[in-house]
Amino acid sequence: MIEHGKPSSHPRFFSFLLALGIALIFVATLFSVAFAKPSAQVDGEALFIAKGCNACHTIGGGKLVGPDLQGVTELRTNEWLTKWLTAPDQMLQTDPDAKALLVEYNNVPMPNLGLKPEEVAALIAYLGGGATISGATAELPAGDATSGKAYFVGDKRFENGGPHCISCHSVAGIGSLGGGNLGPDLTTSGFVQSDAAFASFMGAPSTQTMGAIWANTPLTPQEQSDLYTFLSRAAVTKREPSALLQIALLAIAGAAALIALAQVYWGKRLRGVRKPMIEQTLAARKRINAK
Amino acid sequence: MDIRSHVSMVFHLDKCIGCHTCSVACKNIWTDRKGTEYMWWNNVETKPGTGYPTQWEDQDKYKGGWEREEDGKIHLRLHGRKKGLSNIFFNPALPTIDDYYEPWTYDYENLFNAPEGDDQPTARAVSMITGKPMDTIEAGPNWDDDLGGSPLYARNDVNLDDLTDDEREQLNELERVVFFYLPRICNHCLNPGCVAACPAGAIYKRGEDGIVLISQEKCRAWRMCISGCPYKKTYYNWASGKSEKCILCYPRLESGQPPACFHSCVGRIRYLGVLLYDADQIEKCASVPDLELVAAQRNMIQDPFDPEVIKCAKANGISDAMIASAQNSPVYKFVKKWQIALPLHAEFRTLPMLYYVPPMLPVLAKTDKDGKYDVAGLDNEGLPAMISSLAKARMPIKYMARMFSAGNVKEVEDVYRKLIAVRIFKRAQKVKDYQQAEVDAALAQGATNPEEVEAIFRLTSLPTYEERFVVPPLGREVAVEAWEKPLERKTEAGFGVRNKIAKRKF
Repeated sequence: MIEHGKPSSHPRFFSFLLALGIALIFVATLFSVAFAKPSAQVDGEALFIAKGCNACHTIGGGKLVGPDLQGVTELRTNEWLTKWLTAPDQMLQTDPDAKALLVEYNNVPMPNLGLKPEEVAALIAYLGGGATISGATAELPAGDATSGKAYFVGDKRFENGGPHCISCHSVAGIGSLGGGNLGPDLTTSGFVQSDAAFASFMGAPSTQTMGAIWANTPLTPQEQSDLYTFLSRAAVTKREPSALLQIALLAIAGAAALIALAQVYWGKRLRGVRKPMIEQTLAARKRINAK
Repeated sequence: MDIRSHVSMVFHLDKCIGCHTCSVACKNIWTDRKGTEYMWWNNVETKPGTGYPTQWEDQDKYKGGWEREEDGKIHLRLHGRKKGLSNIFFNPALPTIDDYYEPWTYDYENLFNAPEGDDQPTARAVSMITGKPMDTIEAGPNWDDDLGGSPLYARNDVNLDDLTDDEREQLNELERVVFFYLPRICNHCLNPGCVAACPAGAIYKRGEDGIVLISQEKCRAWRMCISGCPYKKTYYNWASGKSEKCILCYPRLESGQPPACFHSCVGRIRYLGVLLYDADQIEKCASVPDLELVAAQRNMIQDPFDPEVIKCAKANGISDAMIASAQNSPVYKFVKKWQIALPLHAEFRTLPMLYYVPPMLPVLAKTDKDGKYDVAGLDNEGLPAMISSLAKARMPIKYMARMFSAGNVKEVEDVYRKLIAVRIFKRAQKVKDYQQAEVDAALAQGATNPEEVEAIFRLTSLPTYEERFVVPPLGREVAVEAWEKPLERKTEAGFGVRNKIAKRKF
């Protein structure tokens, strides 16, 4: 009742906003239609960065997680590159060259980025155009392994609030139980090769899961450096037998403890009636006969 | 009063000859399927004996039935809520197949197909569970059949626990060895342990007749009912993964026939009829001290001729036909009117609705040096020397009391005095070798009268089929016509179980 006067002004303000909104959408549509590039002319460099290719690859900047792509168009045919960029996961299963590459690059597979045909064409054109591009991040400050471990297991928070590595990854040196199983085990994954490659990847991770997680909560250079220092010490090509033994012993001890607990809890369970009855009766008769 | 109707049973043990015809009839109809080979919904045991499964009466081992606390409350012996939850994946009181027996058949084909050899071919025993030959068969469903006095079986009968060493020794003396038969089916209890123990809520009691059934759709194979039932009358079907039990042949009842074991009984020991009972009293009756249990349970059964009872029954929707059936019920006469039928192991507190007329004490007689017929121990409480005295019974009264009256010796003695009075009265009538004074003394001791004795005699010895089996008009199939037209339903939905029962593959 007090705000009796207001309703009359309310619809007027609302209709003004609505009109403004419609006008804006109209103008935006006009612009987008007028200035839209034809889809065949996708900007290769922008796409290279947008799709996160530079997380693992340079052009003329040396190898990171993946190979340096300078001159790749001369090394491979256009047809091979098109197939590779469209569906690398399928190529890895069928193509001998792709398989050889996988082994050469520490078994880190090229992810399927879901590129459209015109995007593939644009990328190949860009790679053949002689442009150069370096890794995603510059050099790292000096790192501290203790701090890196603390980041990994969650004793220390990441500055931008990212999740701790242990929730999805495991690595040697964080205790016998290890970490999560959702992501690859970083002990033997091959991801941790050089600080440049690590920093480049973590600066803008290109895989779907990592990209989604780290896009809004990036690591600081110091955090990257600490983590790399820790991981590079922990990472090996093959797990040590003693570590495997430790896990096996832990599993056996755990199972034994559970069985012992069950024996205590269900100690008075029914262990058969007929056989014990007969055995006891026969034993009693034997005792009497012996006397 | 919350009056409900219950199809109840009486087994007259004096007439049981231990022929197992009932068991075979039941097996042929219901438990000849895979996974049910070891089940005997109906079985006949020799007492004293260990029964099936072995020593099923020993609830220290099997944890069946209910337990009374100091404050008079009862709880399941198996577990309460917390323990039930913590044991849900492992029931520590389950009998093993060995406590029943490993069912077997014989390799009959070998008799025809065996290659020529030096010896006759034999049909080896083959396990019906593993399919492998069994070298030695160590147990069967009636392994201790007729083995009264057996040091291995009869002496391990838990009902002998209350007896003194002398009394136990007497049972094993040469020429005094004694046994009787105890046929058992599901008791369709009023306070069933199986229903209370089921975590899935799969077991229920039918409203109109009290038959306890396990829903094959709801059963989740927790197997708590097997431990919960003190009579071990629910069984786990290892092939279907569901528990099963006696269904009192309800499909037969619904078409007016008695259950198969009743129908086939050679000795005609089985009686079936409706009892009206007051459901308000169930908890109270199940909670009274041991010695009062039988009286309390009898008290719960109501007179179907009482107008007040009839009024309450009708208020509960019990039909006139059902009430008429209750009035004709032979079970009502045995249990309530004459009070000569007793529940088996009332101390389990499940309020079983199957009652037993205890067997007459066997006579141990000899001729003395004058050639005169002499019944051992002539201390017959002033009665003619036909039946030995209760105190000197070959089957000790204490043993009978442990089985049929939760240890209350007087209850069993009262039953026996009445049964003895019937014998003496009828003998005096037919053989005419007793004095009237002796007959009168027997009637007085039995607290009975000639009319009652005649009635007991008639229903015991000369009952017609219709008198033994007063099957109430359950008529579910007729009742369904009230809301559904069977012909239309048939064309729309077909017969059988509506939801397919998922079975394990083997």
